[in-house]
Amino acid sequence: MAPTASSPVPGFVPDPDAKRAALEDFATFLNPQKVRVLRAAGLDLIEAERSGPWVFDLDGRRFLDCFTSAGSFNVGRRHPRVVRAAHEAIDRLDHGNFLLCSREKAALARKLAEITPPSLECTMFGTGGGEAVDFALKLARGATRRSRIVSTVNGYHGHTGFALSAAGREQYRHPFEPLMPGFTLVPFGDVAALEVLDDSVAAVILEPIQGEGGIVVPPPGYLAAVRRACDRVGALLILDEIQTGFGRTGRWWASEHFDVVPDVMTTAKSLGGSLVPISATIFTEELREFLIPNPFIHLSTFGGSDVACAVALEVIAVMEEEGLVENAATMGERLHAGLRQFAAAHPDVVKEVRGLGLMAGVEYGEDSMGPRMSFHLARHGVLAIYSGNQPAVMRLMPSLVVGEQEIDFLLEALEAAASDLLAGKGPEEVAPNRARRRPVRPAASALGQG
Amino acid sequence: MANWDELAEALADYTVSCNTNERLRKMQRDWSRVLHFECSDSRDRFFMVVDRGEIVRTGEGHEGVPDIVVTTESETFCDMFWGDLNPVQKYLRGEIQVKGSQEDVMRLDAISYVIWPDV
Repeated sequence: MAPTASSPVPGFVPDPDAKRAALEDFATFLNPQKVRVLRAAGLDLIEAERSGPWVFDLDGRRFLDCFTSAGSFNVGRRHPRVVRAAHEAIDRLDHGNFLLCSREKAALARKLAEITPPSLECTMFGTGGGEAVDFALKLARGATRRSRIVSTVNGYHGHTGFALSAAGREQYRHPFEPLMPGFTLVPFGDVAALEVLDDSVAAVILEPIQGEGGIVVPPPGYLAAVRRACDRVGALLILDEIQTGFGRTGRWWASEHFDVVPDVMTTAKSLGGSLVPISATIFTEELREFLIPNPFIHLSTFGGSDVACAVALEVIAVMEEEGLVENAATMGERLHAGLRQFAAAHPDVVKEVRGLGLMAGVEYGEDSMGPRMSFHLARHGVLAIYSGNQPAVMRLMPSLVVGEQEIDFLLEALEAAASDLLAGKGPEEVAPNRARRRPVRPAASALGQG
Repeated sequence: MANWDELAEALADYTVSCNTNERLRKMQRDWSRVLHFECSDSRDRFFMVVDRGEIVRTGEGHEGVPDIVVTTESETFCDMFWGDLNPVQKYLRGEIQVKGSQEDVMRLDAISYVIWPDV
């Protein structure tokens, strides 16, 4: 398969004019700078047809989706069974009254208890990852009556109030300060740094593998050490499995690789099967005690809507019946073997490859190579974005329905993109439709402002 | 290759363009940085100090500890300071190198966009 090939989808009619109009409207009514940057980076796609691991730009180009909205499309885009379940749910349901009990919520909570570690039996639903993290931190403070939260440098947990306060990146927090008090950052992977834990700490929150931080797999024994440190001071361990969970790493939950069971786990993104927003915070029965006298202390109008729960149940059924967790492990091995060869062949471009299953990171030699490789990969039919907190690291997180053909396509595209990068290729420069602004006059010294 | 007088004039015009643009000043009011610039085709080096969105000092050589280091050819600096090129395109071609956070790279491009929306 040629990396630049495009395969038409029956019934899909490319419409470049509609794409131009959409980008103009986006620039006018949403954000012009977002359009400008994405256009320059060759990522000004308007997603049209979406199918399995592929997405088609409205102009007709086909892309292997290796961004998947940061791991939101584990069952692929518009999986036929999930689409059918969504249609059926909409035919008979709606959001449901959030204050009431619901058959769909109950069924999904039961299923989540089944697919998570045995001690995690209770669920609170939300609409997105940030909300799930917010509730996890509220629960930790409420249940322990302690205030301090420890999170990790370069960690990412979302952009809502509590979640943003736990963010491991100053740039995300700075414009909105003061945020929630009582948050402490420690370096990810550093066991000695856990000494900051004491009996004022309600919880430690971290991702089993940092996603936005650059696909950082912790050193052996680190997560177990975090678990022990939490137990030592009576703090809770919250694992944010929003990017790492749902089979992404070749196990249902990444924490399984490290034999660590948290007190609270968050999941979102792929739970909604690319169709509906839904998240879940899953926790122990012991922690649920806090909610017995406070059954209405955390409410979410659309969290765990009946429609979304019905869809999520079908997503889990697809994951189980199509063996997608196992496929992530198998295809992950193929991907990582290819990435190691790629790294060995291009020491001038690649510093390191890492990850687990279909959560892979390629660390390039320097920061600008992340955005530049995104550009070149897009030209070779792969949608891949660098890590938000680590631009030198490209995240490769295709959907779990990929087969050998797609993995090989990705590896070929990486080779072609690296060649383009080394050849100094980039966005074509178009002469502006106006005169140059540079003044036509003899130069004169004008230094020394201010 | 641009000589130092041309670079200085371009930098001075850029300073005026930034400091007299009220929209930009408001947008950048939380942005204070020290920028170092290095010409890859000559030995010219210069700096810029931005304090809450205002360019308060520029000069030849380097001053202070940089938050951002921008390296490119002298003519490219001139084009950038006079609004004759799209910085992010040059960055993606590897013709402008920026050492600093990704947010600051975006900021530098946003400054060009706000002053010259057509670049």
